[in-house]
Amino acid sequence: MSSETLVLATSAMLFAVGAAGALLHRHPVAMLMAVEIMLNAANLLIVLGARVRGGADAEAAALIVLVLAAAEAVIGLALALAFFRRRTVPDVNEAAEIRG
Amino acid sequence: MSELLAWAWIFALPGLVLTASGIPKDQKRAGYASLPGPVVLLVIAAIAFAQGTEASVTYLNWLPFLADGAFRSLADPLSALLLAILGFVASLVYLYSLGYMADDPGKRRFFVYLDLFVASMATLVLAGNLAVLLIGWTGVGISSFLLISFWRDKPGTLGAGLQALAANAIGDGALLLAASIVPSGCGALVTLHTAECTRNPGGAEFLALLLFIAAAAKSAQGPLYFWLPNAMAGPTPISALIHAATMVAAGVYLLVRTHALLALAPNTMLAIAAVGVATALAASVASYFQANFKKGIAYSTVAQLGYMFAAVGVGAPFAALFHLFTHAAFKALLFLAAGIVIHGAAGREGLLDLRGLGRFFPYSRWGFLIGSLALIGMPLITAGSYSKDSIIEAGLEKQPIVGWLLLGGVILTGLYIGRLFSIVYLAPANDPHTVHRDPDIERPMNWALVPLMVGAVAFGWLGSYLVGHLGDTAGEIEHVPSLINLSLPGLAAFALGAIGFAIAWWLSQRAPAQAAAPASADTSYGAATWVRAIADAGYAVSSGLARVQSGVLPRYAFGSLLAVAAIVLVRVSLR
Repeated sequence: MSSETLVLATSAMLFAVGAAGALLHRHPVAMLMAVEIMLNAANLLIVLGARVRGGADAEAAALIVLVLAAAEAVIGLALALAFFRRRTVPDVNEAAEIRG
Repeated sequence: MSELLAWAWIFALPGLVLTASGIPKDQKRAGYASLPGPVVLLVIAAIAFAQGTEASVTYLNWLPFLADGAFRSLADPLSALLLAILGFVASLVYLYSLGYMADDPGKRRFFVYLDLFVASMATLVLAGNLAVLLIGWTGVGISSFLLISFWRDKPGTLGAGLQALAANAIGDGALLLAASIVPSGCGALVTLHTAECTRNPGGAEFLALLLFIAAAAKSAQGPLYFWLPNAMAGPTPISALIHAATMVAAGVYLLVRTHALLALAPNTMLAIAAVGVATALAASVASYFQANFKKGIAYSTVAQLGYMFAAVGVGAPFAALFHLFTHAAFKALLFLAAGIVIHGAAGREGLLDLRGLGRFFPYSRWGFLIGSLALIGMPLITAGSYSKDSIIEAGLEKQPIVGWLLLGGVILTGLYIGRLFSIVYLAPANDPHTVHRDPDIERPMNWALVPLMVGAVAFGWLGSYLVGHLGDTAGEIEHVPSLINLSLPGLAAFALGAIGFAIAWWLSQRAPAQAAAPASADTSYGAATWVRAIADAGYAVSSGLARVQSGVLPRYAFGSLLAVAAIVLVRVSLR
């Protein structure tokens, strides 16, 4: 098995783990972590592409994704904190007051 | 000047921004910053029309998802004429509103909405293709809603505004469908009739039908008439500008603009004529049974728009345009004259309350008389006779049944307008002490009436001038209106109108109370039932769709994941 295939498989597996975590967890912080894993899976793929093509543009994109992930974590954690302040049980399914 | 006129949709925007940001500061002078907009529009449009030049502005790929997504605005003689009408009536309505809204705390908001309307209407008229037309079309609908519901605390105004919005939405939907089904590259209004543009599944007939539905919704024709009488819940200057002179005429304008396409669709033409005649007659009857002064005039507007539709339907677009032109002057005159009496009676609109009060307002009385005479078509000295005769003569010539029905309908016109005039302006006043008069407030309103009186008399003489400058933009013009219009159908129409007027006067003398508040007031033609049915259906659909928004986060996440998977699958399988 070539190293590219290995990285591809790792990336796909990480993405699947992240997606499953985001879908199955009901704790806001756990969901955020799962989303981070999905982002990292995508980043791994971008870095692989950068290696194969040998350009700097894809590596720059990977850095942008890192910044994006940090920004997302800031907003997400702030939301989670606000959520904890209002509720005793940290369950995202409870936050459905403005449905429909 | 046409190059400048092609940007006319901008003219009202500086006033909008200034008034909205509170300039001038003094509440008494609120709205002054908005005044120059329509005047500039009138002057530039009139000069451009006189010069007869043509100019257009095009920005390609502005809305790339539409067949013709360019931003096209077209200032040709036809749009210049419409913009001149808009500028003329709007200038006077702005002036009038300074008096009418003088004591209203929401005066600033009122002028901001007015500016929004003028800008949207200018966009509509200048539209060179369906995409831009749709923007103007929706814009005037929204400003109409805002202005109908202007006094939002008054019961019923919000409902009336929503009705207007709903009826307009039907028209917007038809127009959007039309913009979507035309083949790629088509959408310019003046080339819709070309062979490559009518190559859609339904052909020219279907495209024309969609435009007709859009026009009928805007102009309150056929089953879509219901919103216009209720739109009278808004302030009277709005009734004059939007719901009599300009916006409701947009439907007629669209049909005149696309007359070449309609000529390819004989069945749709027949439907337009039939709907126009039926609406003209039914609305005339309904007007006679109104207990509310403004609603009586509103049904008259529906009826007159019916005359214009009938003219388009028999293939005489210029006659329709000519009537649009004169009607704008005399119907705005009728509304503004009525508004002076209503303002004097502290906003009451019931005919029983207003009985006899008109005699205290000489400008209003003369204005309403001239407007009424123009409406029933007094030959030689009123504008209405020239344009209405053109319609009736075209009808008699091309579709005799249509012509005869329209001719007979004039007696109904005389009946309803004679009734309103006799009750408000001729009858003795019940209680003169209910009239409040304030010369300072009345002055701008009276001034605004004078140019409209001149217009209601003189616009008819401009027929041959219009023909000379319009070129072929309003279709082939077979009969050029002469300066002396003493034709047999015209005289017959006036005689019928005068008879109706006299009968109405006699009836109002004999049984004054019954005339002012008729017992059989249900003239809704069952509109409430089917409007309710549509509203219920819409509610059922939206409450079903609302269930998708459960608020449960994992479900949303699962939906997004499914969508991503679907997109990937489609991409992969298409490769």
